[in-house]
Amino acid sequence: MLKKSSVWLVVLVAVVAIAFIATGCAKKQVVKEEAAAKPMVEAKKEEAPAPAPAPAPAPAPREEAKPEAPAPPPPKIEAAPVVEKVAPPDLRGLRIQFAFDDYNLSTRSKENLEKIAGWLSKDRAAKIQIEGHTCDIGTPEYNLALGERRANSAKKYLEGLGVNAVRISTISYGEERPMVPNSDEANRSKNRRDEFLQSK
Amino acid sequence: MKKGFFILLATLLLLPLLAESLWAKVYIDIRSPSFRKFPIAVSPFKAPASPNGDLKLGERATEILNNDLTICGFFALIDPRTFAENTVRGQPAGSPSGTGQIPGVPGAETIDFRPWANIGAEALVLGEVTFKDQSLTLEARLYDVVKKELIVGKRYIGEITDLSRMVHRFADEVVFVLTGEQGIFQTQIVYVSTATGNKEVFLMDFDGRNVKQITRHQSICLSPRFSPDGKKIAFTSYKAGNPDLYIKDMRTGEERRVAHFPGLNISPAWSPDGQRLALTLSKDGDGNPEIYTMQLDGSHLHRLTNNPAIDVSPTWSPDGKRLAFVSNRGGSPQIYVMDVTGENVQRLTFEGNYNTHPAWSPRGERIAFDALLDGNHNICTIQPNGSDHRLLTANLNRCETPSWSPDGRHLVFSSTREGGPHIYLMDAEGTRIKRLTFQRGGDTYPNWSPRLKQ
Repeated sequence: MLKKSSVWLVVLVAVVAIAFIATGCAKKQVVKEEAAAKPMVEAKKEEAPAPAPAPAPAPAPREEAKPEAPAPPPPKIEAAPVVEKVAPPDLRGLRIQFAFDDYNLSTRSKENLEKIAGWLSKDRAAKIQIEGHTCDIGTPEYNLALGERRANSAKKYLEGLGVNAVRISTISYGEERPMVPNSDEANRSKNRRDEFLQSK
Repeated sequence: MKKGFFILLATLLLLPLLAESLWAKVYIDIRSPSFRKFPIAVSPFKAPASPNGDLKLGERATEILNNDLTICGFFALIDPRTFAENTVRGQPAGSPSGTGQIPGVPGAETIDFRPWANIGAEALVLGEVTFKDQSLTLEARLYDVVKKELIVGKRYIGEITDLSRMVHRFADEVVFVLTGEQGIFQTQIVYVSTATGNKEVFLMDFDGRNVKQITRHQSICLSPRFSPDGKKIAFTSYKAGNPDLYIKDMRTGEERRVAHFPGLNISPAWSPDGQRLALTLSKDGDGNPEIYTMQLDGSHLHRLTNNPAIDVSPTWSPDGKRLAFVSNRGGSPQIYVMDVTGENVQRLTFEGNYNTHPAWSPRGERIAFDALLDGNHNICTIQPNGSDHRLLTANLNRCETPSWSPDGRHLVFSSTREGGPHIYLMDAEGTRIKRLTFQRGGDTYPNWSPRLKQ
């Protein structure tokens, strides 16, 4: 755990440094930082199709990098560096998947959670809700329990990365809110997931 | 429950001497291994034309009664049409040609039982429904065809909407007088339906009639469970954002939130005395679902399980001493039993690697549950000592969440065998499956009420 968080700190420092070099404009710092951060983290993945780890804002070829929705507007409180308002990452794209009847985190899930922790460490005011979901195999009550465990697996991992527990809430929806219809195994597998939402 | 509910006016023509001998006699020994279905005929109920037009009251009453007597499994219904033409004339009280006022009580001596005996009926029901001055009257009599005697006769008076209840009540009389056991016809089933677009709790009679929406939370309602007196239901709802536990009074409609701890407040199970609920909470131990008991006001909270695995879906033994529940402590979800103190935990199911949703039968001799076998959900039962595992629903699609009838002879469950899912009823051996719900949307989580005394 300790080792992981120090690795992550190094990444974070690198990201900030690169972003700082890449842009002199304080106004756009946040936006650039986001774009630059992705390839850096992605580069850690052995299976990632090697995006150049250069600071070039090449979009990572992953689902979370789908052409950014409305580019976050430049922050209004540009000059005040006291509480840094950091645009959240694409939380939808960072949803994590689970194996059937399982609540263990995969390597990829952990990486996604590390991105979320990175954001939460910068935006100290941000809070997050984790929704645990299941596919429709199994009875609804057991699936509520399973969804609860999935949400709490993610919560514990974020806590291990230094995120204060009070900033993380969890809720299980079991099989009640599928992302896609449970029509085949491919879809069911998509429904075995945690979703992340910024909460107030 | 409802204003102007019908009152039982009179028990007709039960001669004291005859009555005594009747109570002693059981026509059908339903517990005997050599039990055979008792041949009974229901003559179409008469319904004198109502001034409000043809309400088909006779047909409706006959259909409801036939359905009741078929579902319960004790009877072989003999179709009166098998002797139609030649005997209509000789059929005194059952003839659909009667008009006008309720006739005088037909003594058994005025009835020609021969045609009924000839088609093999050993008991005969004759009845009549009249609707006059906003008042509905149902008269029905059960005769012993062999002895040519009246066994029981009843008259019920109420509103037009009471027809099915009157018939169910008479059907309960028939079962009681012939078997010595209470029937199940005055019972209801709560379930969850998406007919409105949200998951709401609905209520229907045990035969699928009189569907009523119970909750309007516009959220997700789950796991409705009748209290042992049938007056309340406990259920989970996301109405306030979190899966919290509610109790609703079915008479007043009043709703109380009785558990809203952080995390899960799910899978309520009423203790047999109705004083406590077993439930699943995840408030302790890093959000791990564990089983607790508490009183209905939320006090006296006791944690029964203490295991890093999932523990969920408790169900009480009828003596209130033990609970069956689901745990994945062995690596996959299986059914376990424990004392109500949380001690003496024993694993019951070893067949298959996914067994959930236990329901302890009212007599205590079996536990029904949901088993994932070859990728499909099926209803199974097992004895509480783990022996005699039986598969009830082979080759049906997704049979889930079984719940027992109060006499332990039937189960309701949800299945996607015809889309839906819809609610189905079957007998405890897994035969004679009957679909109960026909709304649009999906119907799940059925829970059968206790007998509801009027």
